[in-house]
Amino acid sequence: MKLLPTLLLAGSALATATLPLAAQDALPQAQDSYFQAGQAALAEKLADQPRTGRAKNVILFIGDGMSIPTITAGRIFEGQSRGVDGESNSLSFERLPYAALSKTYTHDAQVADSAPTASAMTSGVKTLNGVIGVDQTVKHDTCAGAADAAVETIFEQAEAAGLSTGIVSTARITHATPAAAYAHTPNRDWENDKTLTDEAKANGCKDIAAQLVEWPAGDGFEVILGGGRANFLPAEMADPEVADKKGSRTDKRDLVAEWQKKYNDGVYVWNAAEFANVDPAKVGHMFGLFERSHMQYEADRQKDKAGEPSLAEMTAKAIDVLSKNDEGYVLMVEGGRIDHAHHAGNAARALVDTVALSEAVKTALDKVNLDDTLVVVTADHAHTMTINGYPKRNNPILGLAVEIDGSLSKGDDGKPYTTLQYANGPGAKKDEPRADLSNVDTTDIDYLQQALVPIGESETHAGDDVAIFAAGPWAHLFHGVVEQNFIYHVMAKASDITAR
Amino acid sequence: MATRLDLDHRRTDRRTVLGLLAAALWPAGAARAEAPRLKFADLYARYGELSPRALETTGQAVSMRGYMAPPLKPEVAFFVLTALPMSVCPFCETEAQWPEDIVVVYTDGPFDIVRYTDLVVVTGRLETGKKVDADTGFLSLVRIVDATVEKL
Repeated sequence: MKLLPTLLLAGSALATATLPLAAQDALPQAQDSYFQAGQAALAEKLADQPRTGRAKNVILFIGDGMSIPTITAGRIFEGQSRGVDGESNSLSFERLPYAALSKTYTHDAQVADSAPTASAMTSGVKTLNGVIGVDQTVKHDTCAGAADAAVETIFEQAEAAGLSTGIVSTARITHATPAAAYAHTPNRDWENDKTLTDEAKANGCKDIAAQLVEWPAGDGFEVILGGGRANFLPAEMADPEVADKKGSRTDKRDLVAEWQKKYNDGVYVWNAAEFANVDPAKVGHMFGLFERSHMQYEADRQKDKAGEPSLAEMTAKAIDVLSKNDEGYVLMVEGGRIDHAHHAGNAARALVDTVALSEAVKTALDKVNLDDTLVVVTADHAHTMTINGYPKRNNPILGLAVEIDGSLSKGDDGKPYTTLQYANGPGAKKDEPRADLSNVDTTDIDYLQQALVPIGESETHAGDDVAIFAAGPWAHLFHGVVEQNFIYHVMAKASDITAR
Repeated sequence: MATRLDLDHRRTDRRTVLGLLAAALWPAGAARAEAPRLKFADLYARYGELSPRALETTGQAVSMRGYMAPPLKPEVAFFVLTALPMSVCPFCETEAQWPEDIVVVYTDGPFDIVRYTDLVVVTGRLETGKKVDADTGFLSLVRIVDATVEKL
């Protein structure tokens, strides 16, 4: 008699396996809103067709430090900011059809920094923490031998093939991520000549700002937009935005002037008004440096003294300039300060900058044709922010965790806690109990979420995988769990860049 | 363990005079504790350009929360209040990247150094306008003077 239930089960299993799709309607849950949304999603995915043409253009968006929890919290934050349901919301790039997980470990580290990770994406190899555009044979911080370790980036290949290239970032344009497009250096800190060691100078290593302006690939970048102006101006020169500050260079070189001399169709801008006046139709080369150091967080951008364009505005103008080239273009756009906000233990600014990246991707998607443009959105590495507790649906993402029954979640110390927490960083007390947040506005833009391990200077990166989202030609190659350097291989294959 | 800052003789004299003046002009104790809260976000219309709120509140009692940037050395009687923790001593670094909304706090007496990642509450009189500190050459646009500081 034990056989009968087994036979019955086997029979019903067989019946379910052969049930036609329409029979899903007969299920008890068929009228449930989630069920119906699931069926609609299924229909959409079934209609997705891979594109196998050649990618004339490639745009690589990098959310620096944009971990998966950052994306989840970011979508909730964006939705709640608009007064709609946050959990079911989607940021722009979450609607791209293909996704994979990216393993971000580097040649010598379990947890990466931005230098080798960006290099992995632009050149197809993993390398050491702290180095840019050089392979695993280099010794960090040692110039001797570094030239032999140089790799070729997809931007260099693009210029060689006659495409246009662009780099856009809200960080200093000499910072690790954008530098991975053009620089080859055993130390990411060598952003201007003052930071070069004697050994570096003796062995002919150039600082990153100099490498940008002297970049020998093709006719150089058509678009350069970001921060880091001080790295390009000499110490004798006052900064145009902050008159009592000077440039940082000690070699008396004005790299902005040198850049301007190279092009008769070039324009240099340093504030929002000048940027707005740039007519893409009339400009062949555009160079914008909007801050002495990093650009403002999006949350503070409205207060900038001389004004700054948003990441979306920079993306739009970059595409307008680059798309004039009939050969195509390769563009990197970095939301560079999601990472900085996480390092400061300040989730609010990280989420606002994540939304700014989403806007930039949306701007691009509205402009490009996915039949000939490969769009990739990813992060270089993760951070330690997590989404905790059992907060009820629609609980404010920056608020205290409030449960389904309306009660405040509390720890064993009797104190409430925020949904968002960091594992380490400035938000941790040193040898003291954590604060009671009962009367604290944790949604304030300056609030630092509580953390466990005190590291006042900077919260750390995290080693978990990050996401890759993609659309366009060969985007479907991004599936499964891949090594981070695989990103280059797909971009190169899709664009056929070395054969052009 | 907290560190007391020692004031030199000259500064104590100046402080005594200021203290007397302040006491004359200035509500003591309990009234100060109710000083309205000013946030960093309230200070500037654009960085470098004070907000209407900051201008209206100049000369009045305010209270601000923020972080104490590591002080130059024990002998100074002021510290820099920042919206987010600042790990480096501002005057010790030649190229310190100062945020644009720092507030310089001149205390009304010695104060305990608080770890730069622990919130403090500062209560005092708001002063605005460019001023160069005579002893350190430090330029500030917003200050809180005759201030008390307390770890939160």
